[in-house]
Amino acid sequence: MFPYSEASWSVVDGAMFMGWGGSLPAISTLVAAIICVAVLVYGQKTEAKKTRQFEK
Amino acid sequence: MEDQIAELTAQIAALQGSGGVTNTMFAETFYYLTIPLMIIIHAGFLMYEMGASRLKNVLSSGVKNILAFAFMIPTFYFFGWWVYWGFPTGLTFSAGPMGISGAEYASAIALGWGDAAQYMGPNIADQASGVFFGAFALFAATTASIMSGAVIERIQTVGFVILAIVLGSFAWVVAAAWGWHADGWLVNKWGVHDFGAAGLVHAVAGFFALGVLINLGPRIGKFNDDGTANHIAGHNMPLTVAGLMLIIVGFFGFLMACVIVPGEAWSWFGDKPATIYGTPITLSSLAFNILMAVAGGIIGSWVLTRDPFWMMSGALAGIISTASGLDIYFPGITFIIAFSAGIILKPCANWLENRGIDDAVGAVTVHGTIGLYGVVMLGIFGAGFPALQGAAGDAPTISLIGQIIGAAVFFLLGFVPGYVVSYILKMMGMLRIPAGAEIAGMDEVKVPAHGYPEGIPAPGVNLAPGE
Repeated sequence: MFPYSEASWSVVDGAMFMGWGGSLPAISTLVAAIICVAVLVYGQKTEAKKTRQFEK
Repeated sequence: MEDQIAELTAQIAALQGSGGVTNTMFAETFYYLTIPLMIIIHAGFLMYEMGASRLKNVLSSGVKNILAFAFMIPTFYFFGWWVYWGFPTGLTFSAGPMGISGAEYASAIALGWGDAAQYMGPNIADQASGVFFGAFALFAATTASIMSGAVIERIQTVGFVILAIVLGSFAWVVAAAWGWHADGWLVNKWGVHDFGAAGLVHAVAGFFALGVLINLGPRIGKFNDDGTANHIAGHNMPLTVAGLMLIIVGFFGFLMACVIVPGEAWSWFGDKPATIYGTPITLSSLAFNILMAVAGGIIGSWVLTRDPFWMMSGALAGIISTASGLDIYFPGITFIIAFSAGIILKPCANWLENRGIDDAVGAVTVHGTIGLYGVVMLGIFGAGFPALQGAAGDAPTISLIGQIIGAAVFFLLGFVPGYVVSYILKMMGMLRIPAGAEIAGMDEVKVPAHGYPEGIPAPGVNLAPGE
């Protein structure tokens, strides 16, 4: 997934990360954001279940 | 007119000279500062290991860790530095394609006697060798610390120091020569890329520890007769967690030291920083990716464990799982890989424990398993990237096969010497302390000081009014 047509560093003069120029950066950013939200939702659900056991 | 031209020429020459001095001082200072930053890794491992020990062993764990650090420096000076420059082309000790390796080259720059000694001591004409040596010696100390935590509470001090020397001043250095050097055969033949040393530092040290643990055996009481494991809690979890956070701080220095600054005679580029392979990198790449890796690892571990020890181990796992490609990953990908490493961390540690391995701090999993995971992940995501400078078709490229071969070599370079040397030490009676001493506690047996001479008060639950 080298973002340049020629597999040589001599042609690189800017962005050099994998997926540059394609949809991978957007997709991975979206997935990372979804993970964050999903973890918070799951975390709240499971922690609330535990804390309810101690309700007076 | 000619006088003015001559004056301008002189001024330009003076400016160039001044710029050169500034760049040289910057380069020297850059590496010099990575040394205390990496000592923070050692401070973190010290806290982490002492916190993970029971009260009866807390100081002896500290003694062992401190002594490993002390022995790493001179042994790396005596022969570790030579190994790095002498071994890249394998066991032929010949010069590689870049001409900066082989026995002759190593003997010219990395020995503490003869003509080579000019590069191994104070020299006003050489502002690079000492700071490079220092950074590499601290990489070595990191490998010893990784193994140190796994074997606490039952290993003999001298036996441990011998193992630390074999690991820190030889085993990982061979891995670095082969896979972290522009002349390294793994790089030139297979395009192995391991920018941040996930395999050649972490996996080598982690699997070296596994080889030692097999011969060392578990702590008394760790496993029941039916093979089930008991949890042996350390005496101070907050100390352990803070230590892990310090290791994260130190890793910014470790990864900074993996960058070759521009503009010097030994630099890859005049105008931009490079990796140790001579491929371009920026410190901004590291800032983006290390931070995302730490976050991803913590979040992944929290989902599964809710345990601060595993969360901070997850932070380390996040960095290690992405270290091979921190120079070329996109931050979103870094986060996803680190998150996955945080998720798999505890199940991998449990798997090992269920096979009778007592790894007191999870070092084999965090550094070994996750290190190899990181090396292979780069083969999946980074395939096609040139692994060295050179024209298309000439320079080797990163590939999944190459990364798997690299991972296998790093595993063997760690596990085999760890197992063999610890087996020899076991045969010589130098590996494990006697059972009576283990039960009494190693502090009582061999440390003339007390960690907590007044004990640790336990006043009970601190309730606020109305609770």
